[in-house]
Amino acid sequence: MTIKQRGHALAALTISALCFTLSNSVYAVEEGDEAPDFTLPSIHADQAAVSLSALRGKTVYVDFWASWCAPCLKSLPLYNEMYHKYKDQGLEIIAVSVDNPIEDGQDFLIDTPLDFLIPADPEGDVAELFQVFGMPTSYLIEPDGTVSLVHIGFRNGDIDMIEAAIQKSLATH
Amino acid sequence: MQNARLAGILLLTISLLSACAEVRPWQRGNFAKPEMQWQADTLESALNDHIFFSKEASSGGNSAAGGGCGCN
Repeated sequence: MTIKQRGHALAALTISALCFTLSNSVYAVEEGDEAPDFTLPSIHADQAAVSLSALRGKTVYVDFWASWCAPCLKSLPLYNEMYHKYKDQGLEIIAVSVDNPIEDGQDFLIDTPLDFLIPADPEGDVAELFQVFGMPTSYLIEPDGTVSLVHIGFRNGDIDMIEAAIQKSLATH
Repeated sequence: MQNARLAGILLLTISLLSACAEVRPWQRGNFAKPEMQWQADTLESALNDHIFFSKEASSGGNSAAGGGCGCN
């Protein structure tokens, strides 16, 4: 191998290395963006797959959670109450479980039954698609598919803010 | 020749950077396990902190908030 050939090989190596490093920094879903569509199997073996595009025309609240995330577990029963309060007005809640193995999520649901849609994303493909920034992260998606609220974390009092945003969305559509 | 070798080593080092992967928020399940915490027993560590504070007249700076799940 001549020095020139070696130079070319090294250049190719550097470019591939840079592509690899940069490929991680993809654009995250923000307020005002179009929500990326996804279809995931339900965490419950006896329930149908969950698809975001199938809920077009409804206000959809998408939440990413895991059984190891303490604030997530605090938020889910509150979301269940909210779901019962607003489902007749057109609210749908999708709580994506990123538990791996998915049995961890199923174990939590045995003690805390939730009535909304719970798809399982053990490989984090959809979390990757949304570029989830922290756990939990939730997205309020308007009936036309745009994201109107991105909420990271869950603290006391957050539920009031989220409920107000949902009410606003339900009122305008 | 010396320069080419140096450049080669530099480029090789840069190419190895691609092996440095970021642990994403949804992959932090293992970090949140009890055995991954700095303090196994909250009560005991609070007691130890109190004794340390009494003896050294200094407190704080011995832990960080959060279980690594990115929730705080």
